[in-house]
Amino acid sequence: MDAATGQALRNRWPLPFRLPSWLFLCSPLGMVLVLFLLVPILSLVRASFYEGDRSFDATGVSLEHYMRFVGDPYYLGVLLDTLGFGLATAALCLLLGFPTGYALARMAPRHRRWCIIMVILPLTLSLVVVVFGWLVVLGRQGLVNAILISLGLIDRPVQLLFNATAVVIVLAQQFLPFMVLSVMSVVSQIDPALEEAAASLRANRRTTFRRVIIPLALPGILSGFTLVFVLSVSAFITPRLVGGYKVQMLGSLIYEQIVVLLNWPFGAAMSVVLFLVTLTITLLANWCLAQRAR
Amino acid sequence: MTSDWLDRLLAFCGTFIQLTVYLTALLPPVIVIGASLTAGNSMGFPPEGLSLRWYGAAFESTPFMTSLVTSLQLAVLAMAASLVIGFAAAYGIDRHRFVGRDTLQALALSPLIVPAVVLGIGLLQFLTLVGLGQTFLGLLIGHVVITLPYVVRTLTNSLLLLDRSCEEAAYNLRARPLTVLRRVTLPLLLPALVSSGIFAFVISFGNITLSIFLGFAGAETLPVQIFTFVEHSYDPTLAAVSAVVIVMTVVIMLAIERIVGMDRVL
Repeated sequence: MDAATGQALRNRWPLPFRLPSWLFLCSPLGMVLVLFLLVPILSLVRASFYEGDRSFDATGVSLEHYMRFVGDPYYLGVLLDTLGFGLATAALCLLLGFPTGYALARMAPRHRRWCIIMVILPLTLSLVVVVFGWLVVLGRQGLVNAILISLGLIDRPVQLLFNATAVVIVLAQQFLPFMVLSVMSVVSQIDPALEEAAASLRANRRTTFRRVIIPLALPGILSGFTLVFVLSVSAFITPRLVGGYKVQMLGSLIYEQIVVLLNWPFGAAMSVVLFLVTLTITLLANWCLAQRAR
Repeated sequence: MTSDWLDRLLAFCGTFIQLTVYLTALLPPVIVIGASLTAGNSMGFPPEGLSLRWYGAAFESTPFMTSLVTSLQLAVLAMAASLVIGFAAAYGIDRHRFVGRDTLQALALSPLIVPAVVLGIGLLQFLTLVGLGQTFLGLLIGHVVITLPYVVRTLTNSLLLLDRSCEEAAYNLRARPLTVLRRVTLPLLLPALVSSGIFAFVISFGNITLSIFLGFAGAETLPVQIFTFVEHSYDPTLAAVSAVVIVMTVVIMLAIERIVGMDRVL
């Protein structure tokens, strides 16, 4: 509806409808985002500075929770481990996601639709169902153990769960769709004629990839890598179920502080640390992309 | 020639990686469905005989059925709310130029990158403060925040691609603005509305990372209930419940694919 007619129509209506159209249309979204996204994050930041570890009616301002986090090698170790898991997951996703995304971009649309459905299946299924599936696959009586036994490689079931490798594999499978989709979207912008030109100049596939495809696809690779990294360092359901008590990540420590130990201020401080890490990485990646685009 | 040989190796690795990706995407859901069909008492593989008895057990289990109903109610309401809020905003963003337009658009997509623990704990604290802690409304608000990005993104993209000439023709025929919206714009946008709405439903229905903080005794969602059971012990009933969730989700995704094509939503 064009602005002038819309305005004329609404002049006869009650007050909220007489606002400029854009304000009337966008204010519900704006209110939801401010009230239920920005304000909660700010109240989390405030809570991380409370004195003591009471969850309700806490007062005062102190840095004690941050000091506790920074002063304890255990928490710093978990933070480093978490970053390591994030990097490993993002690297694995890149290794698996780049060829898949590239192939999808160059695929005939008819086949592509079905492949895309398969690729995004882990994204649409409930996270807990996917993790449960992996517990069944990797469990003592699971598929992998059954195969290994029938091949005669082992004679009794081995523990495949509750270690770092299992956590990285399950995280990578969950977040792989993001990598595949972002590689696919940049590669489909690259004109196949460029590849043909490289081939007609007698470049082999490797050279074409190294000198043509990868440089052009770099923005997609970077944004996929960042997204997977950010999502996996914030994970807490997967490390808790697949990692058990042996593998701790920052997310699962926060969950424990909030839900089990009910120490909200310390949990809030750890969440702020996590948020700062993910925010820095995201902003850094966006800055790099903006630099390249110029 | 060595280069040809290396190129063939490269192609082989590419095919191998793709096979791995598709296999691992299908593996967990297929295994869960397989395990749910066992006739035995444990979740071993291969299953001991085939039966549907665990589905019977699942449908008779009060915790699972109550939480299934909660999840469905929540997902339907979250879908409706984010469609209304999201459509209004997408329409405003598409048709008007105003201060803060880009900020609003960026902010609308930001719940996708805010860590779920941060949003969950922040909301839990804030909702408790304003007296909405441990209420169904609080849980619903959380779900609307995380489903909105998908709806806003799909609808702004579709509005951008929408051919305005039909609307202009309607205006030339002296149709009122609201009539144009109802009779021209909305019908043209129907595929995008349906697919983003269904996608919002799926996201809300499967969410655990937020529900686990905002849920409370009496309003556990199905994923939270599954999580609680997985953490302690599990039997084939759980596999049957998960299989129901899997089949539901897959059917819904295939429906979106038939209506508009998956690439419109992502």
